[in-house]
Amino acid sequence: MGFIKDERPQTICVEGTWSLSSYHYKGSKLLEQYVKGLKQKKLIGSFCPGCAKVILPPRNLCGRCHRIMDGRKTVSDRGTITCYTVSPAITKGKLKVLGMDPVETGLIKDGEILIPVFVRFDGSDSNTDTILLNAEPKAVHIGMRVKVIWAKEPQGALSDFEGVEPI
Amino acid sequence: MKRNAAIIGCGQTKHSSKRRDVNVAEMVSEAVYNALEDAQVSMREVDAFIVGNMPGFGGIAQPEQWLGDWIGAAGKPVIRIATGGTTGGSVGQGAYYPVASGLHDVVVAVAWEKHSDSKEAGATSGLLHVGLGNLFHAASYGLNLKNLMAMSMVGAAAGVAVYQAVFYMHRSGCTIEHFDMVAAKARRNAARNKYAHLQWPGCTPEDIAETELLAYPFRYGHICPASDGASAIVVAEENLARKKARRPAWYKGLASYSDEENQLQSENFGGVGVLDPSEQRGCWVSAMKAYAMAGIKDPQKEIDMAELYQPFPSQELIFAERLGLFDEGTAWMALEKGETDINGRMPLDPSGGVNATNAIGSSAMQRILECALQIMGKAEEHQVPKKVSNAVAHGWGGVTNYSTVTVLGDSPGR
Ligand SMILES: [Zn+2]
Repeated sequence: MGFIKDERPQTICVEGTWSLSSYHYKGSKLLEQYVKGLKQKKLIGSFCPGCAKVILPPRNLCGRCHRIMDGRKTVSDRGTITCYTVSPAITKGKLKVLGMDPVETGLIKDGEILIPVFVRFDGSDSNTDTILLNAEPKAVHIGMRVKVIWAKEPQGALSDFEGVEPI
Repeated sequence: MKRNAAIIGCGQTKHSSKRRDVNVAEMVSEAVYNALEDAQVSMREVDAFIVGNMPGFGGIAQPEQWLGDWIGAAGKPVIRIATGGTTGGSVGQGAYYPVASGLHDVVVAVAWEKHSDSKEAGATSGLLHVGLGNLFHAASYGLNLKNLMAMSMVGAAAGVAVYQAVFYMHRSGCTIEHFDMVAAKARRNAARNKYAHLQWPGCTPEDIAETELLAYPFRYGHICPASDGASAIVVAEENLARKKARRPAWYKGLASYSDEENQLQSENFGGVGVLDPSEQRGCWVSAMKAYAMAGIKDPQKEIDMAELYQPFPSQELIFAERLGLFDEGTAWMALEKGETDINGRMPLDPSGGVNATNAIGSSAMQRILECALQIMGKAEEHQVPKKVSNAVAHGWGGVTNYSTVTVLGDSPGR
Protein backbone atom coordinates (compact mmCIF):
# COMPACT_ATOMS: atom_id res chain seq x y z
CA MET A 1 0.00 0.00 0.00
CA GLY A 2 0.91 3.64 -0.15
CA PHE A 3 2.15 5.53 -3.15
CA ILE A 4 5.04 3.65 -4.69
CA LYS A 5 6.49 4.66 -8.05
CA ASP A 6 6.25 1.40 -9.92
CA GLU A 7 7.91 2.87 -13.00
CA ARG A 8 11.23 3.00 -11.15
CA PRO A 9 12.09 -0.15 -9.19
CA GLN A 10 15.18 1.23 -7.40
CA THR A 11 16.45 4.50 -5.98
CA ILE A 12 19.23 6.13 -8.01
CA CYS A 13 22.47 7.33 -6.49
CA VAL A 14 23.88 10.82 -6.91
CA GLU A 15 27.51 11.35 -5.86
CA GLY A 16 28.40 14.52 -4.04
CA THR A 17 29.87 16.05 -0.93
CA TRP A 18 28.53 18.46 1.63
CA SER A 19 30.77 21.32 2.54
CA LEU A 20 30.68 22.67 6.06
CA SER A 21 32.23 25.82 4.67
CA SER A 22 32.56 27.53 8.02
CA TYR A 23 30.81 27.23 11.32
CA HIS A 24 30.53 29.64 14.23
CA TYR A 25 30.86 28.32 17.73
CA LYS A 26 31.18 29.96 21.12
CA GLY A 27 33.41 27.91 23.36
CA SER A 28 33.65 29.06 26.94
CA LYS A 29 36.80 30.20 28.73
CA LEU A 30 36.66 27.29 31.14
CA LEU A 31 39.22 25.22 29.27
CA GLU A 32 41.63 28.14 29.35
CA GLN A 33 41.46 28.19 33.15
CA TYR A 34 41.60 24.40 33.26
CA VAL A 35 44.79 24.10 31.21
CA LYS A 36 46.44 26.84 33.32
CA GLY A 37 45.85 24.50 36.26
CA LEU A 38 47.27 21.55 34.33
CA LYS A 39 50.47 23.52 33.73
CA GLN A 40 50.91 23.58 37.53
CA LYS A 41 49.90 19.89 37.72
CA LYS A 42 46.61 20.85 39.36
CA LEU A 43 43.11 19.60 38.58
CA ILE A 44 40.71 22.52 38.98
CA GLY A 45 37.01 21.67 38.81
CA SER A 46 33.92 23.84 38.94
CA PHE A 47 31.94 24.09 42.17
CA CYS A 48 28.14 24.40 42.27
CA PRO A 49 26.80 26.86 44.85
CA GLY A 50 23.44 25.05 44.70
CA CYS A 51 24.33 21.42 45.40
CA ALA A 52 28.05 21.68 46.27
CA LYS A 53 29.04 19.27 43.52
CA VAL A 54 32.53 19.56 42.07
CA ILE A 55 32.67 18.69 38.36
CA LEU A 56 35.92 17.92 36.53
CA PRO A 57 36.73 19.07 33.86
CA PRO A 58 34.78 22.22 34.82
CA ARG A 59 31.55 23.22 33.19
CA ASN A 60 29.35 26.30 33.04
CA LEU A 61 26.06 25.06 34.44
CA CYS A 62 25.04 22.43 36.96
CA GLY A 63 22.96 19.90 35.04
CA ARG A 64 20.43 19.15 37.74
CA CYS A 65 20.07 22.34 39.78
CA HIS A 66 20.67 24.74 36.90
CA ARG A 67 22.97 27.10 38.80
CA ILE A 68 26.01 28.79 37.33
CA MET A 69 29.03 26.85 38.57
CA ASP A 70 31.17 29.88 39.23
CA GLY A 71 33.11 28.42 42.16
CA ARG A 72 36.47 26.68 41.62
CA LYS A 73 37.96 23.86 43.61
CA THR A 74 41.23 21.99 43.25
CA VAL A 75 40.81 18.24 43.57
CA SER A 76 43.39 15.52 44.15
CA ASP A 77 45.25 13.98 41.20
CA ARG A 78 44.53 10.61 42.77
CA GLY A 79 41.22 8.86 42.36
CA THR A 80 39.25 5.68 41.85
CA ILE A 81 38.21 3.93 38.63
CA THR A 82 34.40 3.89 38.52
CA CYS A 83 34.06 2.27 35.09
CA TYR A 84 36.17 0.96 32.24
CA THR A 85 36.18 -0.80 28.92
CA VAL A 86 38.94 -2.72 27.13
CA SER A 87 39.54 -2.52 23.40
CA PRO A 88 40.61 -5.42 21.22
CA ALA A 89 44.20 -5.20 19.95
CA ILE A 90 44.27 -2.21 17.61
CA THR A 91 46.07 -3.02 14.42
CA LYS A 92 46.73 -1.03 11.27
CA GLY A 93 43.49 -0.26 9.43
CA LYS A 94 41.26 -1.02 12.42
CA LEU A 95 40.52 2.52 13.55
CA LYS A 96 40.20 5.78 11.66
CA VAL A 97 39.67 9.07 13.45
CA LEU A 98 39.41 12.31 11.48
CA GLY A 99 40.73 10.41 8.48
CA MET A 100 43.83 9.36 10.43
CA ASP A 101 45.00 5.82 11.21
CA PRO A 102 46.52 6.11 14.71
CA VAL A 103 48.77 3.08 14.14
CA GLU A 104 50.11 4.55 10.92
CA THR A 105 50.82 7.87 12.60
CA GLY A 106 52.59 6.13 15.51
CA LEU A 107 50.11 7.37 18.12
CA ILE A 108 49.16 3.79 18.98
CA LYS A 109 51.56 0.84 18.79
CA ASP A 110 50.52 -1.93 16.40
CA GLY A 111 48.52 -4.41 18.47
CA GLU A 112 48.13 -2.07 21.45
CA ILE A 113 45.12 -2.52 23.71
CA LEU A 114 43.46 0.67 24.93
CA ILE A 115 41.74 0.89 28.31
CA PRO A 116 39.36 3.87 28.45
CA VAL A 117 38.30 4.53 32.04
CA PHE A 118 36.10 6.80 34.13
CA VAL A 119 37.94 8.16 37.17
CA ARG A 120 36.38 9.91 40.14
CA PHE A 121 39.20 12.03 41.51
CA ASP A 122 39.22 12.45 45.29
CA GLY A 123 37.25 15.58 46.12
CA SER A 124 35.20 15.55 42.89
CA ASP A 125 31.61 14.45 42.22
CA SER A 126 31.95 13.52 38.58
CA ASN A 127 33.49 10.97 36.28
CA THR A 128 36.48 12.15 34.30
CA ASP A 129 37.00 10.29 31.06
CA THR A 130 40.62 9.28 30.42
CA ILE A 131 42.83 6.28 29.63
CA LEU A 132 44.58 3.83 31.91
CA LEU A 133 48.24 3.34 31.02
CA ASN A 134 51.04 1.17 32.46
CA ALA A 135 48.54 -1.52 33.49
CA GLU A 136 47.64 -5.05 32.43
CA PRO A 137 44.16 -5.16 30.84
CA LYS A 138 43.32 -8.11 33.11
CA ALA A 139 44.16 -6.12 36.24
CA VAL A 140 41.75 -3.25 35.63
CA HIS A 141 38.72 -3.23 37.90
CA ILE A 142 36.14 -0.92 39.40
CA GLY A 143 37.57 0.51 42.60
CA MET A 144 41.16 0.45 41.34
CA ARG A 145 43.20 3.35 42.77
CA VAL A 146 45.00 5.45 40.18
CA LYS A 147 46.94 8.68 39.80
CA VAL A 148 47.45 11.14 36.97
CA ILE A 149 50.42 10.72 34.67
CA TRP A 150 51.61 14.28 34.12
CA ALA A 151 53.65 15.38 31.12
CA LYS A 152 57.33 15.81 32.07
CA GLU A 153 57.19 19.47 31.16
CA PRO A 154 53.57 20.64 31.23
CA GLN A 155 52.79 23.14 28.46
CA GLY A 156 49.39 24.33 29.67
CA ALA A 157 47.58 21.97 27.30
CA LEU A 158 44.95 19.26 27.71
CA SER A 159 47.63 16.74 26.76
CA ASP A 160 49.59 17.61 29.94
CA PHE A 161 47.19 15.09 31.51
CA GLU A 162 48.45 12.02 29.68
CA GLY A 163 46.25 9.47 31.42
CA VAL A 164 46.21 7.60 34.72
CA GLU A 165 48.21 4.67 36.08
CA PRO A 166 47.74 2.32 39.04
CA ILE A 167 49.08 3.54 42.38
CA MET B 1 -11.50 17.97 30.96
CA LYS B 2 -9.27 15.55 29.12
CA ARG B 3 -10.87 13.10 26.71
CA ASN B 4 -9.97 9.46 26.34
CA ALA B 5 -7.85 8.56 23.33
CA ALA B 6 -6.93 5.21 21.81
CA ILE B 7 -4.77 3.69 19.10
CA ILE B 8 -7.17 2.12 16.59
CA GLY B 9 -4.79 1.15 13.80
CA CYS B 10 -1.12 0.32 13.24
CA GLY B 11 0.98 0.26 10.09
CA GLN B 12 4.61 -0.63 9.48
CA THR B 13 6.95 -1.27 6.61
CA LYS B 14 9.33 -4.16 6.30
CA HIS B 15 12.66 -3.18 7.87
CA SER B 16 16.02 -3.94 6.31
CA SER B 17 19.43 -2.34 6.00
CA LYS B 18 18.65 -0.96 2.52
CA ARG B 19 15.16 -0.22 1.24
CA ARG B 20 16.30 0.59 -2.29
CA ASP B 21 12.80 -0.04 -3.68
CA VAL B 22 11.42 3.14 -2.10
CA ASN B 23 12.52 6.63 -1.22
CA VAL B 24 11.64 8.36 2.06
CA ALA B 25 8.27 9.70 0.90
CA GLU B 26 7.18 6.35 -0.52
CA MET B 27 8.32 4.49 2.59
CA VAL B 28 6.47 6.83 4.95
CA SER B 29 3.36 6.68 2.78
CA GLU B 30 3.52 2.88 2.94
CA ALA B 31 3.35 2.93 6.75
CA VAL B 32 0.60 5.59 6.85
CA TYR B 33 -1.61 3.73 4.37
CA ASN B 34 -1.12 0.46 6.21
CA ALA B 35 -2.19 2.17 9.45
CA LEU B 36 -5.26 3.80 7.86
CA GLU B 37 -6.29 0.48 6.34
CA ASP B 38 -5.84 -1.29 9.67
CA ALA B 39 -7.94 1.39 11.41
CA GLN B 40 -10.58 1.41 8.67
CA VAL B 41 -10.23 5.19 8.58
CA SER B 42 -10.22 7.18 5.33
CA MET B 43 -7.70 9.92 4.62
CA ARG B 44 -10.59 12.43 4.72
CA GLU B 45 -11.25 11.59 8.38
CA VAL B 46 -7.70 12.43 9.48
CA ASP B 47 -7.50 15.83 11.20
CA ALA B 48 -3.73 16.19 11.69
CA PHE B 49 -0.34 14.52 11.33
CA ILE B 50 2.44 14.28 13.88
CA VAL B 51 5.64 13.17 12.16
CA GLY B 52 9.28 12.69 13.05
CA ASN B 53 12.72 11.25 12.40
CA MET B 54 16.27 12.14 13.41
CA PRO B 55 17.24 15.60 12.12
CA GLY B 56 19.61 15.30 9.19
CA PHE B 57 19.73 11.51 9.16
CA GLY B 58 19.78 9.91 5.76
CA GLY B 59 21.04 13.25 4.43
CA ILE B 60 17.73 15.14 4.40
CA ALA B 61 17.15 18.06 6.73
CA GLN B 62 13.40 18.57 6.22
CA PRO B 63 11.82 15.40 4.86
CA GLU B 64 8.40 16.37 6.19
CA GLN B 65 8.22 19.15 3.61
CA TRP B 66 8.79 16.61 0.88
CA LEU B 67 6.52 13.82 2.00
CA GLY B 68 3.43 15.87 2.91
CA ASP B 69 1.81 15.22 -0.47
CA TRP B 70 2.53 11.53 -0.17
CA ILE B 71 0.58 11.13 3.06
CA GLY B 72 -2.31 13.42 2.15
CA ALA B 73 -1.37 16.23 4.51
CA ALA B 74 -2.57 19.13 2.33
CA GLY B 75 -4.99 21.36 4.22
CA LYS B 76 -4.10 19.75 7.56
CA PRO B 77 -1.65 20.55 10.34
CA VAL B 78 1.68 18.74 10.17
CA ILE B 79 3.93 18.95 13.21
CA ARG B 80 7.39 17.43 13.22
CA ILE B 81 8.89 16.37 16.54
CA ALA B 82 12.56 15.50 16.97
CA THR B 83 14.01 14.43 20.32
CA GLY B 84 16.94 12.28 19.23
CA GLY B 85 16.59 8.56 19.96
CA THR B 86 13.30 9.21 21.75
CA THR B 87 11.79 10.85 18.65
CA GLY B 88 9.35 8.03 17.97
CA GLY B 89 8.22 8.01 21.61
CA SER B 90 7.63 11.74 21.49
CA VAL B 91 5.76 11.41 18.17
CA GLY B 92 3.59 8.63 19.62
CA GLN B 93 2.86 10.74 22.68
CA GLY B 94 2.44 13.83 20.49
CA ALA B 95 -0.57 12.26 18.79
CA TYR B 96 -2.28 11.84 22.17
CA TYR B 97 -2.35 15.50 23.21
CA PRO B 98 -4.51 17.02 20.41
CA VAL B 99 -7.01 14.16 20.74
CA ALA B 100 -7.14 14.24 24.55
CA SER B 101 -7.46 18.03 24.50
CA GLY B 102 -10.46 17.94 22.17
CA LEU B 103 -8.68 19.84 19.41
CA HIS B 104 -8.74 16.93 16.96
CA ASP B 105 -10.69 13.66 16.72
CA VAL B 106 -8.33 11.61 14.54
CA VAL B 107 -4.57 12.07 14.37
CA VAL B 108 -2.00 10.01 12.47
CA ALA B 109 1.48 9.72 13.98
CA VAL B 110 4.28 8.46 11.76
CA ALA B 111 7.99 8.05 12.46
CA TRP B 112 10.74 6.71 10.26
CA GLU B 113 14.42 6.48 9.41
CA LYS B 114 16.14 5.76 6.14
CA HIS B 115 19.83 5.56 6.96
CA SER B 116 20.84 3.94 3.72
CA ASP B 117 20.01 6.88 1.44
CA SER B 118 23.18 8.72 2.45
CA LYS B 119 26.72 7.47 2.83
CA GLU B 120 26.83 9.71 5.89
CA ALA B 121 23.95 7.70 7.27
CA GLY B 122 24.31 9.17 10.72
CA ALA B 123 24.35 12.83 11.31
CA THR B 124 25.15 14.54 8.05
CA SER B 125 24.20 17.93 9.38
CA GLY B 126 22.38 17.81 12.65
CA LEU B 127 24.92 16.42 15.08
CA LEU B 128 28.13 17.13 13.27
CA HIS B 129 28.27 20.87 13.68
CA VAL B 130 28.24 21.04 17.46
CA GLY B 131 30.44 17.95 17.60
CA LEU B 132 32.99 19.54 15.32
CA GLY B 133 32.80 22.94 17.00
CA ASN B 134 33.43 21.21 20.28
CA LEU B 135 36.33 19.20 18.92
CA PHE B 136 38.06 22.18 17.34
CA HIS B 137 37.51 24.18 20.50
CA ALA B 138 39.23 21.47 22.56
CA ALA B 139 41.89 21.01 19.90
CA SER B 140 42.88 24.64 20.39
CA TYR B 141 43.77 23.69 23.98
CA GLY B 142 46.07 20.85 22.97
CA LEU B 143 43.72 17.87 23.02
CA ASN B 144 45.21 14.57 24.20
CA LEU B 145 45.09 12.64 20.91
CA LYS B 146 45.51 9.20 22.43
CA ASN B 147 42.54 9.90 24.67
CA LEU B 148 40.58 11.00 21.61
CA MET B 149 41.43 7.69 19.89
CA ALA B 150 40.23 5.75 22.92
CA MET B 151 36.99 7.73 22.99
CA SER B 152 36.45 7.13 19.30
CA MET B 153 37.11 3.43 19.73
CA VAL B 154 34.39 3.20 22.37
CA GLY B 155 32.11 5.53 20.44
CA ALA B 156 32.36 3.37 17.36
CA ALA B 157 31.23 0.33 19.34
CA ALA B 158 28.49 1.73 21.47
CA GLY B 159 29.34 5.02 23.11
CA VAL B 160 27.96 5.50 26.53
CA ALA B 161 26.09 2.16 26.47
CA VAL B 162 29.38 0.37 27.10
CA TYR B 163 29.86 2.23 30.37
CA GLN B 164 26.20 1.82 31.29
CA ALA B 165 26.61 -1.93 30.85
CA VAL B 166 29.77 -2.12 32.98
CA PHE B 167 28.13 -0.13 35.78
CA TYR B 168 25.09 -2.38 35.67
CA MET B 169 27.19 -5.55 35.70
CA HIS B 170 29.14 -4.27 38.67
CA ARG B 171 26.14 -3.42 40.82
CA SER B 172 23.81 -6.27 39.78
CA GLY B 173 26.16 -9.24 39.33
CA CYS B 174 24.97 -9.78 35.76
CA THR B 175 27.57 -11.12 33.29
CA ILE B 176 28.36 -10.86 29.60
CA GLU B 177 26.59 -14.22 29.09
CA HIS B 178 23.32 -12.55 30.05
CA PHE B 179 23.81 -10.06 27.24
CA ASP B 180 24.29 -13.04 24.90
CA MET B 181 20.94 -14.37 26.14
CA VAL B 182 19.09 -11.09 25.57
CA ALA B 183 20.55 -10.65 22.07
CA ALA B 184 19.70 -14.26 21.11
CA LYS B 185 16.15 -13.79 22.40
CA ALA B 186 15.81 -10.57 20.37
CA ARG B 187 16.85 -12.35 17.17
CA ARG B 188 14.55 -15.34 17.85
CA ASN B 189 11.61 -13.05 18.61
CA ALA B 190 12.36 -10.99 15.50
CA ALA B 191 12.14 -14.17 13.44
CA ARG B 192 8.44 -14.30 14.42
CA ASN B 193 7.88 -10.65 13.47
CA LYS B 194 7.54 -10.28 9.71
CA TYR B 195 8.47 -6.57 9.83
CA ALA B 196 11.68 -7.04 11.84
CA HIS B 197 15.22 -6.68 10.49
CA LEU B 198 17.69 -9.10 12.16
CA GLN B 199 15.73 -12.35 12.12
CA TRP B 200 17.48 -15.51 13.28
CA PRO B 201 15.20 -18.44 14.10
CA GLY B 202 16.66 -20.68 16.78
CA CYS B 203 19.50 -18.27 17.61
CA THR B 204 21.24 -19.36 20.82
CA PRO B 205 23.38 -17.44 23.33
CA GLU B 206 26.29 -19.61 22.15
CA ASP B 207 25.83 -18.27 18.60
CA ILE B 208 26.13 -14.72 19.93
CA ALA B 209 29.10 -15.62 22.17
CA GLU B 210 31.08 -16.68 19.09
CA THR B 211 31.01 -13.16 17.63
CA GLU B 212 33.96 -10.79 17.92
CA LEU B 213 34.45 -8.69 21.07
CA LEU B 214 34.26 -5.02 19.98
CA ALA B 215 34.82 -3.29 23.31
CA TYR B 216 34.37 -5.06 26.60
CA PRO B 217 31.64 -6.14 27.38
CA PHE B 218 30.03 -5.81 23.93
CA ARG B 219 30.37 -8.34 21.15
CA TYR B 220 29.44 -7.77 17.52
CA GLY B 221 26.38 -9.96 18.04
CA HIS B 222 25.12 -7.67 20.79
CA ILE B 223 24.78 -4.60 18.61
CA CYS B 224 21.58 -3.46 16.89
CA PRO B 225 21.54 -2.98 13.12
CA ALA B 226 20.88 0.33 11.32
CA SER B 227 17.51 -0.18 9.65
CA ASP B 228 15.39 1.55 7.03
CA GLY B 229 11.72 1.58 7.94
CA ALA B 230 8.64 3.48 9.09
CA SER B 231 5.82 2.95 11.55
CA ALA B 232 2.50 4.72 11.96
CA ILE B 233 -0.47 4.71 14.32
CA VAL B 234 -3.99 6.14 14.07
CA VAL B 235 -5.19 7.77 17.29
CA ALA B 236 -8.88 8.54 17.81
CA GLU B 237 -11.23 9.96 20.46
CA GLU B 238 -13.42 7.56 22.43
CA ASN B 239 -16.64 7.45 20.36
CA LEU B 240 -14.86 6.86 17.09
CA ALA B 241 -12.41 4.45 18.72
CA ARG B 242 -15.25 2.28 20.03
CA LYS B 243 -16.99 2.38 16.65
CA LYS B 244 -13.94 1.52 14.57
CA ALA B 245 -11.92 -0.91 16.68
CA ARG B 246 -12.99 -4.14 18.31
CA ARG B 247 -10.29 -3.76 20.93
CA PRO B 248 -8.67 -0.31 20.91
CA ALA B 249 -5.38 0.25 22.74
CA TRP B 250 -6.13 3.11 25.13
CA TYR B 251 -3.58 5.63 26.29
CA LYS B 252 -3.74 5.28 30.07
CA GLY B 253 -0.66 7.13 31.19
CA LEU B 254 2.30 8.87 29.63
CA ALA B 255 5.26 10.92 30.76
CA SER B 256 8.57 12.15 29.48
CA TYR B 257 11.43 13.42 31.60
CA SER B 258 14.89 14.50 30.65
CA ASP B 259 17.93 14.44 32.89
CA GLU B 260 21.20 16.31 32.68
CA GLU B 261 23.18 15.43 29.60
CA ASN B 262 25.13 12.32 30.45
CA GLN B 263 27.23 11.76 27.42
CA LEU B 264 30.83 12.37 28.31
CA GLN B 265 32.64 15.27 26.76
CA SER B 266 29.59 17.43 26.41
CA GLU B 267 29.87 21.10 25.52
CA ASN B 268 33.31 22.37 26.48
CA PHE B 269 34.47 18.78 27.23
CA GLY B 270 33.17 19.23 30.76
CA GLY B 271 32.69 16.44 33.28
CA VAL B 272 29.32 14.81 33.92
CA GLY B 273 27.65 14.84 37.31
CA VAL B 274 25.77 11.57 36.76
CA LEU B 275 28.19 9.18 38.41
CA ASP B 276 26.38 6.05 37.25
CA PRO B 277 25.15 6.25 33.63
CA SER B 278 22.89 3.24 34.25
CA GLU B 279 21.05 5.21 36.94
CA GLN B 280 18.61 6.54 34.30
CA ARG B 281 16.69 8.83 36.58
CA GLY B 282 14.64 10.24 33.68
CA CYS B 283 13.30 6.75 33.03
CA TRP B 284 12.12 5.99 36.55
CA VAL B 285 10.65 9.45 37.07
CA SER B 286 8.77 9.05 33.77
CA ALA B 287 7.61 5.59 34.80
CA MET B 288 6.33 6.75 38.20
CA LYS B 289 4.40 9.62 36.60
CA ALA B 290 2.97 7.47 33.81
CA TYR B 291 1.89 4.73 36.24
CA ALA B 292 0.25 7.31 38.53
CA MET B 293 -1.70 8.70 35.59
CA ALA B 294 -2.68 5.16 34.55
CA GLY B 295 -3.73 4.23 38.09
CA ILE B 296 -1.11 1.47 38.24
CA LYS B 297 0.15 0.86 41.76
CA ASP B 298 2.23 -2.29 41.34
CA PRO B 299 3.76 -2.53 37.85
CA GLN B 300 5.20 -6.00 38.60
CA LYS B 301 1.63 -7.31 38.96
CA GLU B 302 -0.38 -4.97 36.75
CA ILE B 303 1.84 -4.65 33.65
CA ASP B 304 1.53 -7.69 31.39
CA MET B 305 4.35 -7.07 28.93
CA ALA B 306 6.79 -4.36 27.86
CA GLU B 307 8.54 -3.07 24.77
CA LEU B 308 11.78 -1.37 25.81
CA TYR B 309 14.27 0.71 23.90
CA GLN B 310 17.26 -1.67 23.94
CA PRO B 311 19.71 -1.12 21.06
CA PHE B 312 22.17 -2.89 23.39
CA PRO B 313 21.10 -5.98 25.33
CA SER B 314 22.23 -4.56 28.70
CA GLN B 315 19.58 -1.88 28.27
CA GLU B 316 16.70 -4.34 28.28
CA LEU B 317 17.75 -5.37 31.79
CA ILE B 318 18.56 -1.86 33.03
CA PHE B 319 15.36 -0.27 31.76
CA ALA B 320 13.11 -3.14 32.85
CA GLU B 321 14.27 -2.45 36.40
CA ARG B 322 13.91 1.31 36.00
CA LEU B 323 10.33 0.75 34.82
CA GLY B 324 9.68 -1.16 38.04
CA LEU B 325 9.01 -4.46 36.28
CA PHE B 326 11.66 -6.24 38.38
CA ASP B 327 13.35 -5.50 41.67
CA GLU B 328 16.66 -3.66 41.52
CA GLY B 329 19.45 -5.85 40.15
CA THR B 330 17.26 -8.89 39.43
CA ALA B 331 16.17 -8.59 35.78
CA TRP B 332 19.01 -10.90 34.67
CA MET B 333 17.79 -13.59 37.06
CA ALA B 334 14.29 -13.34 35.55
CA LEU B 335 15.92 -13.62 32.12
CA GLU B 336 17.68 -16.83 33.21
CA LYS B 337 14.36 -18.30 34.30
CA GLY B 338 12.73 -17.46 30.97
CA GLU B 339 10.35 -14.97 32.55
CA THR B 340 11.10 -12.40 29.83
CA ASP B 341 10.43 -14.80 26.92
CA ILE B 342 7.35 -14.42 24.71
CA ASN B 343 5.58 -17.03 26.82
CA GLY B 344 7.09 -15.89 30.11
CA ARG B 345 5.61 -14.09 33.10
CA MET B 346 6.81 -10.67 31.90
CA PRO B 347 7.56 -10.78 28.17
CA LEU B 348 10.11 -8.12 27.17
CA ASP B 349 10.37 -7.04 23.54
CA PRO B 350 8.43 -9.93 21.97
CA SER B 351 8.84 -8.08 18.64
CA GLY B 352 12.63 -8.43 18.90
CA GLY B 353 12.83 -4.78 19.92
CA VAL B 354 15.41 -2.19 18.90
CA ASN B 355 18.17 -4.77 19.28
CA ALA B 356 16.80 -6.49 16.17
CA THR B 357 15.39 -3.47 14.29
CA ASN B 358 16.69 0.06 14.66
CA ALA B 359 15.23 2.66 12.32
CA ILE B 360 16.26 5.25 14.92
CA GLY B 361 13.56 7.93 14.61
CA SER B 362 10.94 5.21 14.42
CA SER B 363 12.32 2.88 17.10
CA ALA B 364 10.57 4.39 20.13
CA MET B 365 7.32 4.70 18.14
CA GLN B 366 7.55 1.01 17.34
CA ARG B 367 7.57 0.26 21.06
CA ILE B 368 4.19 2.03 21.37
CA LEU B 369 2.92 0.40 18.20
CA GLU B 370 4.00 -3.08 19.34
CA CYS B 371 2.31 -2.65 22.73
CA ALA B 372 -0.85 -1.58 20.88
CA LEU B 373 -0.66 -4.68 18.67
CA GLN B 374 -0.38 -6.92 21.75
CA ILE B 375 -3.42 -5.28 23.38
CA MET B 376 -5.43 -5.42 20.15
CA GLY B 377 -4.42 -9.08 19.69
CA LYS B 378 -2.91 -8.34 16.29
CA ALA B 379 0.74 -9.27 16.86
CA GLU B 380 0.28 -12.51 14.89
CA GLU B 381 3.30 -14.82 15.28
CA HIS B 382 4.81 -12.83 18.14
CA GLN B 383 1.55 -12.33 20.05
CA VAL B 384 2.20 -13.21 23.70
CA PRO B 385 -0.01 -16.09 24.83
CA LYS B 386 -1.20 -14.37 28.01
CA LYS B 387 -3.97 -11.78 28.06
CA VAL B 388 -2.53 -8.29 27.72
CA SER B 389 -4.52 -5.69 29.66
CA ASN B 390 -1.70 -3.24 30.37
CA ALA B 391 1.53 -2.77 28.46
CA VAL B 392 4.36 -0.30 28.85
CA ALA B 393 6.36 1.24 25.99
CA HIS B 394 9.68 2.99 26.64
CA GLY B 395 11.95 5.29 24.64
CA TRP B 396 15.49 6.49 25.34
CA GLY B 397 17.85 8.83 23.56
CA GLY B 398 18.74 12.44 23.04
CA VAL B 399 22.22 12.94 24.42
CA THR B 400 21.39 9.81 26.45
CA ASN B 401 19.18 11.92 28.72
CA TYR B 402 15.66 11.82 27.25
CA SER B 403 13.04 9.27 28.26
CA THR B 404 9.47 8.55 27.25
CA VAL B 405 7.17 6.09 29.01
CA THR B 406 3.71 5.29 27.65
CA VAL B 407 1.22 2.95 29.33
CA LEU B 408 -1.43 1.46 27.05
CA GLY B 409 -4.37 -0.66 28.17
CA ASP B 410 -7.49 -2.49 27.06
CA SER B 411 -9.69 0.02 28.89
CA PRO B 412 -9.43 3.82 29.13
CA GLY B 413 -8.74 3.54 32.84
CA ARG B 414 -9.61 6.45 35.05
ZN1 LIG C 1 24.21 21.91 41.46
